[in-house]
Amino acid sequence: MSNREDRLRSLLDKVRAKRPEERTTHAAEALERIRTASGTTAAAVATSSPPLPPSARPTPIPSSLPTQAAPERHPSSPTSRGLDSPTRYSSQPPRVERPLSAEPRAQSVRPVSVGPSSAPPAARRAESIRPQSVVPTGQPVVYATDPPEFPRPKTFGDLLELTLSLRPR
Amino acid sequence: MHDGRFDPSGFYEFNLTGGTVRTRAGERVVVLSEGVLSALVEAAARDGDLTPLRRLGELLGEQVLSGLDRPASVLSAEAVLGHTSAVTALFGWGRLAFERWGPALVIALRDKPELDQDELGAAALLGGMFSEISQRQVSCVPTGDSKFIMVDFEVAETVWGWYKDGADLPAIVGMLESKRAS
Repeated sequence: MSNREDRLRSLLDKVRAKRPEERTTHAAEALERIRTASGTTAAAVATSSPPLPPSARPTPIPSSLPTQAAPERHPSSPTSRGLDSPTRYSSQPPRVERPLSAEPRAQSVRPVSVGPSSAPPAARRAESIRPQSVVPTGQPVVYATDPPEFPRPKTFGDLLELTLSLRPR
Repeated sequence: MHDGRFDPSGFYEFNLTGGTVRTRAGERVVVLSEGVLSALVEAAARDGDLTPLRRLGELLGEQVLSGLDRPASVLSAEAVLGHTSAVTALFGWGRLAFERWGPALVIALRDKPELDQDELGAAALLGGMFSEISQRQVSCVPTGDSKFIMVDFEVAETVWGWYKDGADLPAIVGMLESKRAS
């Protein structure tokens, strides 16, 4: 775009030098075409300034980086539309609107009282559920780590020794 | 006999030509009626000499030991009872059973011949039999209801005196305590 403007500007200077009357009309038309083609008036505004040497022009910045400082966006607004392909990070599940075709369900709230009771509701509401404490009895709890030992069957000799050992008290 | 069970088959050998009856161990036996035996035992009890009956008991004990492959002291009480009751039944002395009353071993002899009123004949028979089986001198003291408590021969007279004074078996057992060194 800039080369084209340079050429047009040089032609316009030549025309101005030859026919001062027509140069205004052609110059206006040329400017109008330039505006139409570029879509901006920045090039026409800069026509009055002389062309800068190549060393004085700014180094083109890769298009991947913004040429201007982007407005500071809040990181917690991933739905911002300032970015072409934003990466959305969200710890919340996406909002999914429910279809309206689903019939609304009536969630019934049942009364707390069960069965016919003569007690007034107020008195029943006053009852609170409390954990019932278990008081230790003080008796030791015996944990068996060894398998129970079954007594060895007594032999006839065992029974004989036992009964022959009996003496008067 | 090696399977632990008593085999009664062929226990008696009847020799009709010689007119003898012998056990399979070779011991000659005589078949007596209960009435005759009762009179003999009653007379022996009056005289205070029950040695023949004790000797008969030892004979039965020998029959029991001949059927055991190990000493009776190392066998279970059930095994010893099985052989003893079988031999006792073969000689017609009734049904024998063991009972444990606390530390005391009690012999029950049901359906035995009616010998003497105090059952001293049966006591002598059992004493002789279990002395042979255990290879120790033991006494079986009558305690009523065809039951005999097995005790050492040194305390037999004392226990017999308790029974004669009216003590039953639970009372007699309660008056005894084990003196075995633990």
